[in-house]
Amino acid sequence: MSAAGATTTRSAPRRLRLPRLDAGERVRAVVILALLLFVLFGLPPLLSGYWISTSTQVAYYSLVALGLGILMGRTGLVSLGQIALLALGAWVAARLFFATGLPFPLVLLGAGLITMVLGVLIGLPALRLSGLYLALITLMLAGAITVALTATNFPNGGGGFLGHVETDRGAADVRRPLIAHGDTAFFRYTVVVVAVMFLIALVHVRAKPGRAWAAIRQSESAALAAGVNVTLYKMWAFALASFLTGVAGGLLAADSGQLFITSFPTSDSITLLAVVLMGGIYSLWGAVVAGILMKLLPAMLNNWGVAADWLTIVFGAGVLQVILTAPRGIAYQFPRDMARLGRLIYGLVGRARGTPVRERAG
Amino acid sequence: MPSWEDFKPFIVTGLALGGVYALSGVGMVVLYRATGVLNLAFGAVGAMGALLAWQLINHNGWAEGPAFLFCILFGGAVTLLYGAIFGPPLSSRDPLIKAVATLGLALILLGVMDLIWSDKARSMILPTSNNGFEVSNVFVNWTEVIAMGFAIAVMTVTALFLRFTKTGTAMRALANDREITATLGVPVRRVEAAAWLGSGLLSGAAGLLLSNLVGLDATTLTFLVISSLAATLIGRLRSITVTFIAAIVIGLVNALVTPILSISQYRDMTPFVLATIALLVLSGRRGSALSGRAG
Repeated sequence: MSAAGATTTRSAPRRLRLPRLDAGERVRAVVILALLLFVLFGLPPLLSGYWISTSTQVAYYSLVALGLGILMGRTGLVSLGQIALLALGAWVAARLFFATGLPFPLVLLGAGLITMVLGVLIGLPALRLSGLYLALITLMLAGAITVALTATNFPNGGGGFLGHVETDRGAADVRRPLIAHGDTAFFRYTVVVVAVMFLIALVHVRAKPGRAWAAIRQSESAALAAGVNVTLYKMWAFALASFLTGVAGGLLAADSGQLFITSFPTSDSITLLAVVLMGGIYSLWGAVVAGILMKLLPAMLNNWGVAADWLTIVFGAGVLQVILTAPRGIAYQFPRDMARLGRLIYGLVGRARGTPVRERAG
Repeated sequence: MPSWEDFKPFIVTGLALGGVYALSGVGMVVLYRATGVLNLAFGAVGAMGALLAWQLINHNGWAEGPAFLFCILFGGAVTLLYGAIFGPPLSSRDPLIKAVATLGLALILLGVMDLIWSDKARSMILPTSNNGFEVSNVFVNWTEVIAMGFAIAVMTVTALFLRFTKTGTAMRALANDREITATLGVPVRRVEAAAWLGSGLLSGAAGLLLSNLVGLDATTLTFLVISSLAATLIGRLRSITVTFIAAIVIGLVNALVTPILSISQYRDMTPFVLATIALLVLSGRRGSALSGRAG
């Protein structure tokens, strides 16, 4: 929070006051808004159908990455089962869609909330032990959800609780919202939903939970001593991450129409962890970078006829590199490196025009 | 409800699988105690070793024995190499970070395996799988006997090793306090290297046995590590004996559920279910110990 806010805290409760933005933040907000408008209206005409649907995937996978990023970057928790939670969210969304016929935003909200409750129930016992236990139990959870969903399949308009029916005439699809039926319209719809979710996350990070998380990340015992309810706020972070992942699952369900468990391999949970680390866990931008790494790069390689397995190797090396040398990831490192490069070029050009410019990154 | 006769064959498969989970679990616990690293790439290393052995036998004309030996040595070599490169710089980091770093190794291995061996289904049969004997109408092959026997041997030897040898004592000291152990003149790097190597050899052996008991597939073998992880978690990442017993129970329950048709499809959830129950018990106990603290 800004220093100006801190001085006024003593007298008035600030709960209902709008956040005050300083000049830098105002500029940033305008830039982000412009970027968002460009993505919504400038980008789609430039892209073919293939890239539109890839971009839609990038958008909702950024949301999954955001959930994991908040867990890792803010509270230092690691979940190795986020893609399984995504599958769970998609299952819940499909189930709600076929059972209730609710308007799509409510389906999304329901998917988020139910995934949140399930995630918290599973994470709760591990949250009270060390972080390693949560990582392990979520990895097992990933395996278990895969097993369960392989057995039950995804709802496709059948009866009963599971809602799955084997047909040879093609099952019913999870339909997209009426206002966003086409690919481009659904892309815009997804971007708007994702932007709202990022805003929710930003509000959390800036407000009381964010400060509690920061305290927990610095030192759990110090946070405890300072009166922070450590278990509550860890659970809060896990709940928020599960909620975001559930909403992403709902978007995914509507995007693909029919769901198969093969779209959610356990190894993807590990890949997600890798791209989130590489993207950067201390900045919300890292989640966007992670979504791009996870979905746009494979699509590009696919286009060029290169096996996407190379990416897995790169991501593996990326994890080790991030942990060893650059814990803040690309979202932090890239602008710095570019700025440094820019300064270097500027300095060289300014000092000696005509001499060859030697670029040196980092 | 199926009769006793239906369950009998699954006792054998359960014990065999449990045995392999147990020896993987013991390998992971020993490494964790000595170095603080929970090696999540354990399964991937074993899978890679098994696939390499398959490659050597079917395309390079190796005899089976040397190829199997190569698989085990490969596990030791890769794990030792990883430990030598990434162990020291990460030694002072949180155990969680160290575990996440091993996922980097797992991803690299998974990527390589998918690049080379993802085209078709493969199988590798150990010669011991073709022969066996009957115990009360149940056929038991020698691979299953080896899996179980090897697990018991590994656990016993490890326990004795930690208890009575100098390196073993050093490992236990490292588990307690790394700094003090180093101050007392224990060659920390060398002791850790021994743990990495031993654990790696076990991962190779486990990969070889599992490829035979379960199937030769990169992803399956990589994520079978989940069963062993559940066992190590129940053993609180500390106790070799509890890990061993938990692994056998997980293997047994997993197999024995097979004939019960209503839940048979869900049997692979066993590690998760048992680990969750264990966590509830653990966190309950921890909670009561900490219950004096303010909200």
